[in-house]
Amino acid sequence: MRINPIYRQESRAGARSFKLPLIILGFNSVLAVVALLYMDSMIAQVRLTAEIQYSSFLGLYSFVTTMEFVLLLFVVPALTAGAISGERERQTLDLMLTTRLKASDIVAGKLVQGLSTVFLLIVSSFPILGLVFIYGGVTMADVGLMLLCYVVTSVLLGSAGLFCSAAARRSTRATVAAYSVLVLLTAGTLMVNYLAEGLGTMPQGNGAADWPLYLLLCNPAATFQTILNSQMGSGSGLTVIFPQLERITEIGFVGRYWWPVSMAVQLLMAAVFLWGAVRKTRPAGRGRRPR
Amino acid sequence: MLRIENLTKVFGRTVALDGLNMTVEAGALYGFVGPNGAGKTTTIKTVIGLLAPDDGRVLVNDIDVAKEPDRVMARIGYVPDAFGVYDNLKVSEYMEFFASCYGLAGLKARKRGQMLLEQVGLDDKADFYVEGLSRGMQQRLCLARALIHNPPVLIMDEPTAGLDPRTRYEFKEILKELRNQGKTVLISSHILSELAEICTDIGVIDQGRMVFEGSMEEILAQINVASPLLISVSGNRQKALELLRAHPEVETVTIREEEIAVGFSGDKRDEETLLKQLVEAGVNVYGFVRERGNLESVFMQITDHSGEEVVLLHED
Repeated sequence: MRINPIYRQESRAGARSFKLPLIILGFNSVLAVVALLYMDSMIAQVRLTAEIQYSSFLGLYSFVTTMEFVLLLFVVPALTAGAISGERERQTLDLMLTTRLKASDIVAGKLVQGLSTVFLLIVSSFPILGLVFIYGGVTMADVGLMLLCYVVTSVLLGSAGLFCSAAARRSTRATVAAYSVLVLLTAGTLMVNYLAEGLGTMPQGNGAADWPLYLLLCNPAATFQTILNSQMGSGSGLTVIFPQLERITEIGFVGRYWWPVSMAVQLLMAAVFLWGAVRKTRPAGRGRRPR
Repeated sequence: MLRIENLTKVFGRTVALDGLNMTVEAGALYGFVGPNGAGKTTTIKTVIGLLAPDDGRVLVNDIDVAKEPDRVMARIGYVPDAFGVYDNLKVSEYMEFFASCYGLAGLKARKRGQMLLEQVGLDDKADFYVEGLSRGMQQRLCLARALIHNPPVLIMDEPTAGLDPRTRYEFKEILKELRNQGKTVLISSHILSELAEICTDIGVIDQGRMVFEGSMEEILAQINVASPLLISVSGNRQKALELLRAHPEVETVTIREEEIAVGFSGDKRDEETLLKQLVEAGVNVYGFVRERGNLESVFMQITDHSGEEVVLLHED
């Protein structure tokens, strides 16, 4: 089997760098500290009240998965935003484009490399996530579904980061653009919902409209929260910032199958971002006839 | 081998290439010379498919770059002016990486890489990190990389820029070796004299147009045409000037202290005829020689676009 040369080279160079171990250490340290502090507060509460609240232990799962999700939101753009613009800055992109490699090979290699780092982060966090199994209440299927959500989110944000990286000439601009896309997808779609809700509940309004809810299909945080709601019941994780998700069952088919539909939408968006990244990476003189 | 037809490229209001025509024969070591901003890099980037032309076409072994870029890339090795460095990659791994970019893998790729590192004198640096090599070594490594897929055509964009004289010399020796191996090499530079000793053909580009193209012999012949005839006469100088002024091959006449500098477009035979005419007219000629010219003066003359007209200077 032929391994993508970009992926192989990046993996080899990455394995020698301090960057990857530092990212893993930082990611898991934050996660572990948060999880252990949460457990400590639970046990302190038990000592104080001599009362064991089972929901608190389930709260650990909710807390750890939410923390991990938020960390991923911040890590993935950072991993991919400099991938192609960095090659351009090092003046190695032109060298690669004059070989038999296609722009799609370069983008694919960079995406797989970025995702493999994310998977490494997710896998390395398993022991922390495994704390929830001490008390039970969460099945492997629940965790598997959550991991699927992480993967889809990583693919979406990774693809967006690569598009920004291919479009921008400098890595700094690419990183700013990648985080702007992240803000647009998460906070932006949410803001539109808040705005629509606010306008709908004004004295002359006709109640909150349904259409802004569909925008949340693009929002990976909304997908995450829907999955968490289905596992833990509402009131967990990011519910406080996504009150709109209480209404999604009112919008028919899409509402009933929110998380599969939203994942499909996000994968479709990822495909569009990747297509754009390939277009932006492809050299101008390839297969283009003079005007 | 490499043919450029009517290549035009415009960036905004700037015409980078203005109907450029160029032919590099198989096995030639072609020096592509021009002042900064003449369009050398734009031409090279169009040839290797990084830029799309606005008009015209580029053919490598009769394959159109715009139509079949993949086939062309398999036949071209490219050495840019700036060397891109990968962190944490050893010299041998760098070669293997680019071999894999051409679909070469395993033992075959390693052997080819080793052979090329030997050819450029870097075989003892195979386990060194690329970023730790000197600029000259990096440029030689870049040359080895460009040859990893054994392309018949090698295109180099000012590869010796910023190198010290010793490294330049070594680089030229490698190029001579490649020429002996039958590779077609296009090498750009803004210094004509740098390419003179190794190139078989020269093309001079200026303002996006080819202003001179020919063999090295032809450009050396231009040196003579470009340099003035220095004629020393004793007495009867007025008679000599009258004769020179009336001569159809004389373009300029400049009076210097001891001699007359004559811009003369004729060849050796015309020079003989002129000398004979002067002597027969009763002018005492005690010096008649071409001023020693150089490649740079030819280059300056070819790329001169001051728009000034040649003026005949008279003693009075």
